[in-house]
Amino acid sequence: MKKKVLLMGKSGSGKTSMRSIIFANYIARDTRRLGATIDVEHSHVRFLGNLVLNLWDCGGQEAFMENYFVSQRDNIFRNVEVLIYVFDVESREIDKDMHYYQSCLEAILENSPEAKIFCLIHKMDLIQEDQRDLIFREREEDLKRLSKPLECTCFRTSIWDETLYRAWSSIVYMLIPNVKELEQSLNHFANIIDADEVLLFERATFLVISHCQRRHHRDVHRFEKVSNIIKQFKLSCSKLAAQFQSMEVRNSNFAAFIDVFTSNTYVMIMSDPAIPSEATLINIRNARKHFEKLERVSQTQSALTK
Amino acid sequence: MNITGIKGSTNNRFFEGCGHEGPVRCIFLCEFHPVAGPKITCQVPEDYVSKEIFDAVSVYIIPKTQLQRSILTVNVLDYKITGYPVRIDNTKYARNAYYFNLCFVCDAWARTVQYEPVVKKLSEYLMMMEQESGFLSDENTSNEKLRLPLILQQILRDLNSCGMSTVIEGTTTMHLKVVKISPDPPPIFDHLVPIFTVDRNSFREQQWDLTTQQVLPYIDGFNHVAKIAAEADVENNLVKACVQNLVYYGVVSLIPIFQYSNVYATTPKLRFLASNRRFQEDCLEYVSNSETDLPSLRDVFILYSNMTHGTTLRDLCLRFNPHALHVDECKLVQFGLLHKIIRRIQKYPVFIEVPGHPSPVSALQRNFNGILSYDEICCKYGMSAQELDEEVECDPSVTLIWK
Repeated sequence: MKKKVLLMGKSGSGKTSMRSIIFANYIARDTRRLGATIDVEHSHVRFLGNLVLNLWDCGGQEAFMENYFVSQRDNIFRNVEVLIYVFDVESREIDKDMHYYQSCLEAILENSPEAKIFCLIHKMDLIQEDQRDLIFREREEDLKRLSKPLECTCFRTSIWDETLYRAWSSIVYMLIPNVKELEQSLNHFANIIDADEVLLFERATFLVISHCQRRHHRDVHRFEKVSNIIKQFKLSCSKLAAQFQSMEVRNSNFAAFIDVFTSNTYVMIMSDPAIPSEATLINIRNARKHFEKLERVSQTQSALTK
Repeated sequence: MNITGIKGSTNNRFFEGCGHEGPVRCIFLCEFHPVAGPKITCQVPEDYVSKEIFDAVSVYIIPKTQLQRSILTVNVLDYKITGYPVRIDNTKYARNAYYFNLCFVCDAWARTVQYEPVVKKLSEYLMMMEQESGFLSDENTSNEKLRLPLILQQILRDLNSCGMSTVIEGTTTMHLKVVKISPDPPPIFDHLVPIFTVDRNSFREQQWDLTTQQVLPYIDGFNHVAKIAAEADVENNLVKACVQNLVYYGVVSLIPIFQYSNVYATTPKLRFLASNRRFQEDCLEYVSNSETDLPSLRDVFILYSNMTHGTTLRDLCLRFNPHALHVDECKLVQFGLLHKIIRRIQKYPVFIEVPGHPSPVSALQRNFNGILSYDEICCKYGMSAQELDEEVECDPSVTLIWK
């Protein structure tokens, strides 16, 4: 199943950097060497084996933007599943940014009215920590108002922390075809093994695509933090020509297992430290077959529907 | 502004692909600005290419990475734009790179291949100047506003008037020249004879490479290529390469081997000999066999007119005795071939199996396919035309085609 994702925003707002970190294994520091995107860069990203994300990274220079709204209008704005619009929080031309955003919305309304819209308030790391919430709330209010009758979901992001992963996890979650089924199975699995929490990550990007929570945890941002940390670790391993396979971390309060799950996913299990490791590992091994089958079925399903 | 209605073209003579060369109408510099995107920053004459037209094709002027550093020519409406997009990577630039394209604009029907090396060379000069001193990108020096328009104006003027331009800017001197591009020369065969079409004294032999210098003395309008290779003691393929080079530069032409058994026929161009006074004078001078007495035009014309199918050169000589008419028959033939007023009729043997008499095909007979001429076969096997005649005449399965 192919889904078209438009990535738009003013020049230099950070679109290509984000795309490179999430999908191309860049670390934040590496994005400094990236050049400007000329016109549209197309990339196809395989996701979970049954989904292909057709990413349109659109260069934000004025000449290109005008081109998108006029001569390339149909080509760009038709068949869009998701529009991701990136705002540089430090921009001095907020009116102009809003103007371009609204032009996008007009074109979307005409050509892909069902598209889901995400607004990323980016480069938040450049704002003082105590100001961040306030500024984000203001922007979010403005954007939701301006976007009517369309609805938009806003996120605050930065390539330097886990907020990037939170936004992109949510975006991708909207696109996974059989996500409800996955969640059900994961729920079932978590209950059987008596886990506190089970997370499912996509293998290459380490975005959290599903989770089942059976015990309360106070840090609502733990998912993206784990994504961020493990992805960095995985990249560091590959720099030493080693493949990250699995990890077990435990102390007196918890036991955490991260392991390869299916050909497209990793799993993370948080459990009571009293449960012996072997038991959890056997459970993972047995569950694997079931989830592999789920994946295969949905792969054939999507091959048939395409 | 209506894009489709600009500069209505009224000419019917020139059309795209007609091959005519035209002047450079405009030169502009395009840059990629980090906020505005691709735009024209300097253009002479001003506003020749409008913003709308530029925007329509800017994706080919500042293209994606894969198309950088190659000649890109775009036809849009009445314009043909030739450019060489350059990207200079350096972290000192915003967005880590500087993109520019120096373009020549010609009429849409014009041939532009001769300008391509000039565009490339000029771009390379600008690239060098940019890397040395930020000539193009440094906003403090206002080079683009002041110096560059003057430079481009001079180049435009010079190239259109005399095909070359020398510009001095600071410590850089730029030499540009439009070189005539000729079509590829034909392949050279062993049995062809190279002959000089220009006076030997008009060029300095020392300017040619050593191999060519070794080969030159044997180009006399009579030696065929295989013979030249043997006499000059130069490898056959090298001789062919030299001759091909000389043909490309218009110094040498190729004619068939001279033999008295050859048959020639006139072409429609013969009428120029009847009408063009200058041509007549050149002809009589060339074909004369004596320093003092020139042949008469009437005699020369009769000789040419009698060249036809079925008449060998030997027949012609026996009938008319060119020597007595002050005509050198070799030179007569050479002149005729060089100026295309006569052409050689070649013989092509074709092997057709006689039904009912199947016999093994000899190596020689395998060459009788209607594609190889007598000249080629003789050259290949080192036999004379007479010897080949003998072979062919006593073979009932071989027919001759004359064309």
